[in-house]
Amino acid sequence: MTTTDSDGSSTAVEEAITSTDPVTLSKVWGMGGMTAVLVGLVAGLLVSLERLDLESAGIFGSGDELFQFWSAHRVALVLLGVLPILVALGTTIVPKQCGANTLLFPRAAAFACWTWLIGAGMTVVGFLVDGGLGTPDGGGQRQATALTLMGILLVIGGLMVATMCILSTILSGRAAGMGLGDIGYLSWTTLVSGTIWLGMLPVLAANAVLAYVDLRGRPAVRFGAEDAIWEQLSWVFTHPAIYLLALPVLGIALDVISSATGSEPANRGVLLVSTAAFGFLSFGAYAQTFFDTPGTPIMEEAIYVLAAFAIVPVALVVLGGVLDLLRRGGSDLGSSAPAPVALSVIAVLLTVAGTVLGALRVVAPWDLLETSVTGAHFTLVVGAAIIGSVAGLSHWGEDLLGSPGFPGLMLLGGLAAALGVALIGAADAVSGFLGQADFTGVDLATAGYPDSATGALNTVSTLGAAAFLIAGLIWMVGGVRHLAADSEGAG
Amino acid sequence: MLTTGFKLWFGLCMAAVMAAVFAGYTSGATETGPISVGWKGGIGNHVSYVIIMSAAAGLALVGLIAVAFRDADAAAQAEVLGIDEAPEAQAVVGNSLWPIFGALGIGAMAVGLVVHPAIFVTGLCILVAVGVEWTMTNWSEKVSGDAEANATARENLMRPIEIPVLGTIGIGVLVLAVSRVLLTSSVNGAVVVATIAGLVVFGGAMAISKRPEMPRRAVRGILFVGCVAVLLAGILSAVNGEREFHQIGGGASDDDAQVETDH
Repeated sequence: MTTTDSDGSSTAVEEAITSTDPVTLSKVWGMGGMTAVLVGLVAGLLVSLERLDLESAGIFGSGDELFQFWSAHRVALVLLGVLPILVALGTTIVPKQCGANTLLFPRAAAFACWTWLIGAGMTVVGFLVDGGLGTPDGGGQRQATALTLMGILLVIGGLMVATMCILSTILSGRAAGMGLGDIGYLSWTTLVSGTIWLGMLPVLAANAVLAYVDLRGRPAVRFGAEDAIWEQLSWVFTHPAIYLLALPVLGIALDVISSATGSEPANRGVLLVSTAAFGFLSFGAYAQTFFDTPGTPIMEEAIYVLAAFAIVPVALVVLGGVLDLLRRGGSDLGSSAPAPVALSVIAVLLTVAGTVLGALRVVAPWDLLETSVTGAHFTLVVGAAIIGSVAGLSHWGEDLLGSPGFPGLMLLGGLAAALGVALIGAADAVSGFLGQADFTGVDLATAGYPDSATGALNTVSTLGAAAFLIAGLIWMVGGVRHLAADSEGAG
Repeated sequence: MLTTGFKLWFGLCMAAVMAAVFAGYTSGATETGPISVGWKGGIGNHVSYVIIMSAAAGLALVGLIAVAFRDADAAAQAEVLGIDEAPEAQAVVGNSLWPIFGALGIGAMAVGLVVHPAIFVTGLCILVAVGVEWTMTNWSEKVSGDAEANATARENLMRPIEIPVLGTIGIGVLVLAVSRVLLTSSVNGAVVVATIAGLVVFGGAMAISKRPEMPRRAVRGILFVGCVAVLLAGILSAVNGEREFHQIGGGASDDDAQVETDH
């Protein structure tokens, strides 16, 4: 009953919930993350459908309800979706790349996994029972909002503990003779991004605690006011913090293409420094608009603008490394590139596109900060992170589950996702230039009285959201079939 | 020689310091404020400056630790230990209940903070118990190099505590749950429920005892399902509330003077 070493009599459920095996934990992280991505994509599609008519509420009953789904879309994709999938890869692949026999602190890793899962469940329930992260008109249920905040705190705690386990493995679990500079690109980018996550997530937790404590008081003084909660947490869903999701994807791309082409990047040192710089420029905890003092809005300050522009050449350097690998080893790929290679290249291109759009977004005369360019930027970067993560899961599928899985399905889903992300990104970016607000609400005033052409662009964006959701479903089917095949093989 | 880890983290630290100073100067700081960490003047945007400078401090600490411990290289570890080859950093451990129970404890605390203090206290108790158990498990794994001997050492120490405590708690929870069911049922209904429950328990125990070849897995499954059913019934009954009790002679406070009526 204590340390239940398998005695052969335990059931599959007992095995699953008591396991400290990194592969089992990865399955939980991965499937949980993919499920959250699907939930986020469904919410995104509903919000897109609502935007087809900017003048009134169609699908949702009020602007508050729309806001709950709009914010749930971002929370689900970032905290409940992409980050856990990256943790899934870090839990299994990073120890292998470092030559470690297993993940360090496996019980803590299991604790992190279950804490995240429980927190994710609480967060979703909080959103579903009229809570979420506040609403513009204060129409949500206070207790449900409090439940969402507690769920977010558990999610943050789980992600932090898991990150610490992975970083400890990279540091202390490396095989003899392997220096920190010799580890795989995924491990290196995980080391950098993990360092930055551990710097940012506590700040996010502090924001959530502040909002929770004030929310529970009656009445809320400032931080817990329902129309103020989202703004305190929103920095983690936009530039520059959002780029941190794409950093491990750059590592995945370099590893995947390097492995497929059988060649090493010519300038490894440059790539290591570039990815570290990418991580540094992704540190976004300082960009808290809620704490702006009169006259110094952080999003118009030089540090914010400079970071947005500086990350573009850094991303281009990494793209150069990827293209160099393809140039030198492209002939080894044959007539058709393997699915993970194609998905990795798409992910890197979308990341670069995201950084370029992020730079355009902060150009002051265009006044795009509050427009749907922000949403387009989010979609490009998060879309790149999701596609890149799937490339990683597909590439290392055999290490994770013992069989290569269904690369055809993964590629099909990836192409649908790329199409969807491109459509959403392009349409929302143009809509932003035409004056459409990031959160459109259910009336023209909230939508920013955009140009009439945004109607057609919103239709295109909705088609993109549908394509992205279809991609998520295809990946889910592929993942479930892969897991089922693995279970049958084990049986 | 400076290690790769030091270069990474100290490099990030230096970049963060420069970013903080830049952020200060470009947001209305005085000439000496940002470079003196606010000692000699204003630092501009307090939030961005403090957060970036705090990150720099953390990165500096990690960088210094990395260089002090040579990036935790296996060769450096072996040298410190005075052996030729460093052992595996992590021994493979078996399955464990403590992670999931710990997570459930924290989850209960979080829900309790929002819903009801009793749930919070329950979560806290679970977390404390898990903390003790987890600690003892870790201690026992370092008693010797023999896993079986370690497990025996742990059981010798903890079983005399675990069995009575868990037994008491289990009985208490089940009694509480069953009492909620009986208090929710009508007077006659309670008799029927108690009779059926008794027969089911007695009959089930008889059936199991007649089949000693039944797999342990099946017995555990039956017990698990039974406990969950009782707990769920107890929780639902508690939510539903007790049936009404009416007193004879209104105003009398003597418990003996109460009668129960069906509703």
